[in-house]
Amino acid sequence: MKETSQLKRILEKGEFAVTAECGPPKGSDPDAVIRKAALLKGKVDAVNVTDNQTAIVRLSSLAGCILLKNEGLDPVLQMVVRDRNRIALQSDVLGASALGIRNVLCLSGDHHSFGNQPQAAGVFDLDSIQFIQVVKTMRDKGMILGGEPLSKAPNLFIGAVENPFADPFPFRVVRLSKKVAAGADFIQTQCIFNLDRFEKWMTLVREKGLTEKTFILGGVTPLKSVGMARYMKTRVAGMDIPDEIIKRLERIPKDQQRGEGIRICVETILRLKEIQGVSGVHIMAIEWEEAVGEIVERAGLLPRSTAN
Amino acid sequence: MGKEHFTLALFYCQGTPQSSEHDRQSLEERYGKAIRLFPIPCSGRLEPLHLLRALEEFADAVYLITCPDGTCRYFDGNRRARKRIERTRFIIASIGLEEERVGILVRSKDDRRVLVDLVQEIMDRVEGVAPSPVLNQAVKSAHAHSRK
Amino acid sequence: MITAEQKPVDEIRKMIAPYKSILVLGCGSCVAECAAGGEKETGALASALRMGAKMEGKPALIQEKTLDRQCVRDFVIQLDEIIHQYEAVLSLGCGAGVQAVADAFPDIPLLPALNTEFLGETKDQGYWLENCLGCGDCMLHIFGGICPLARCSKQLLNGPCGGSREGVCEVNADVPCAWQLIIDRLSATDALGRLEEIYPPKDWSRKQGRGPRRIIREDQQG
Repeated sequence: MKETSQLKRILEKGEFAVTAECGPPKGSDPDAVIRKAALLKGKVDAVNVTDNQTAIVRLSSLAGCILLKNEGLDPVLQMVVRDRNRIALQSDVLGASALGIRNVLCLSGDHHSFGNQPQAAGVFDLDSIQFIQVVKTMRDKGMILGGEPLSKAPNLFIGAVENPFADPFPFRVVRLSKKVAAGADFIQTQCIFNLDRFEKWMTLVREKGLTEKTFILGGVTPLKSVGMARYMKTRVAGMDIPDEIIKRLERIPKDQQRGEGIRICVETILRLKEIQGVSGVHIMAIEWEEAVGEIVERAGLLPRSTAN
Repeated sequence: MGKEHFTLALFYCQGTPQSSEHDRQSLEERYGKAIRLFPIPCSGRLEPLHLLRALEEFADAVYLITCPDGTCRYFDGNRRARKRIERTRFIIASIGLEEERVGILVRSKDDRRVLVDLVQEIMDRVEGVAPSPVLNQAVKSAHAHSRK
Repeated sequence: MITAEQKPVDEIRKMIAPYKSILVLGCGSCVAECAAGGEKETGALASALRMGAKMEGKPALIQEKTLDRQCVRDFVIQLDEIIHQYEAVLSLGCGAGVQAVADAFPDIPLLPALNTEFLGETKDQGYWLENCLGCGDCMLHIFGGICPLARCSKQLLNGPCGGSREGVCEVNADVPCAWQLIIDRLSATDALGRLEEIYPPKDWSRKQGRGPRRIIREDQQG
């Protein structure tokens, strides 16, 4: 199985890439994933499958990726370092590649105290940056941590996340450069609502030469309601939602807020397209995958290229 | 006079007005078995241990008199004392002993009362407290006999 | 120091219930420093337990003693003279102390009155903070004297993560983001450039690679 990641192909061609996210079900139900696949097919270049997001037990991201792949999508395997040690992580990397998964996103993961298994032992054997480096070494040098050679190197396009809105602001660019130096081929950012701040961050990122070395996809999330916006603003760490957005939603009657949320999302994408160094968008429509198609269409991003 | 056989252990610091050795002796004469007085250099010296030992050995109730806020000659002895009283109440509650057996009287800045008057107030406060289930008659008589 | 907190009194009372004579054994070292098992706390607990027993109409012989340290066998074996009159020992030592006593007197049931918690410092009166996890491979010189393993909730060596907000850890608002602290400390001494390096995976074998650890020093032996 040799094929390249569709996401990689699009980005290397210089096209503005579109990715989305698929949250697996809290059960052994493959249809839940297959239904989401149907909503996203043809609308995006690749689909991330989250890895027990918020430390809530869900169908594994690897299984979710295989289900998506069977539906003809290009999956991005999200892997957190919270739950597995270096043995399991490297093993899963080998397994994913063997099963035809071509993209992996390496993250720390939300702390297990947030989820439904707060009594679990958090692993954190590697951190996300070390993990990126391990995957790159496996792919490019055909060896695991410690130097032992692999019988066959995995074939993976390596991604990482960055949050331009987390503190400390000046250090975020240093952290990004470490991820790039470790081997991140592409970056998906946390969702963007404060475009001015994002543009500032992109300026620093460009100045550091990072846009020459990695593809940056700006994250967006359509807001369903003013309540959701307020919640995210105050209760979710690392989120920057300007008051103007809240006010915009407040002015709209409740049953029309979704529409406004989509409008804001589309506007954000249109602005992202204009920012130098932004190579694509990552749409995180949390439990609202139906909205992705509409957003992508209204942002002028259809049709997507198909694999040759 | 206190209730028959009810004994209050009272700790008070040297900042308490008219609390000399002479004052203490005349108070003990007046109240007899009902009260035992313990002068201490500062209320902050009191530990839960001292209060618990008193409750264990002879006291149906223990009280502490502290100086007003801001006037402790050792700066924060009175504040610490309050916290330790709370801690002691927590400990006795955990074994099923009534919290009201342990109390504190924090003098206010304008309160001009002397030890004698404060004792009266505290005796009124503990009026409704039942004899301690920890102490049995045999123990109490032994203590009554051991006192001067 | 090792920190610990007293178990709830009802848990302790259930533990001692089967026994008619109990030695309540305190420790003058770490647990005295964190006000959990020193002489004062041991006296207070013993007194409370005696009162509780009397109130239940089940008087027991409950006596207390405090050792300078419970984790040194040479100190512990001195209990030999008195320990055999008790059916059980309720120890206010940390886990290390309880086990040292149990080891010296394997025939006597050993009951822990404390829950041992962490290696840390007394930051202020009544305030103790975890700061070391005994990894066996100290890197404090690199990170400005702040341990990213013990003090970062995710043990990152290349932090911070995306959940750092205004210097606070996303896990718990009481916990400062260790990486913010490290960045601030290194910035103040002009050493921030050190963090541009990628720190490799931790060698955890120094902590758990060969099972429970030991230190042997022949130059210290008799």
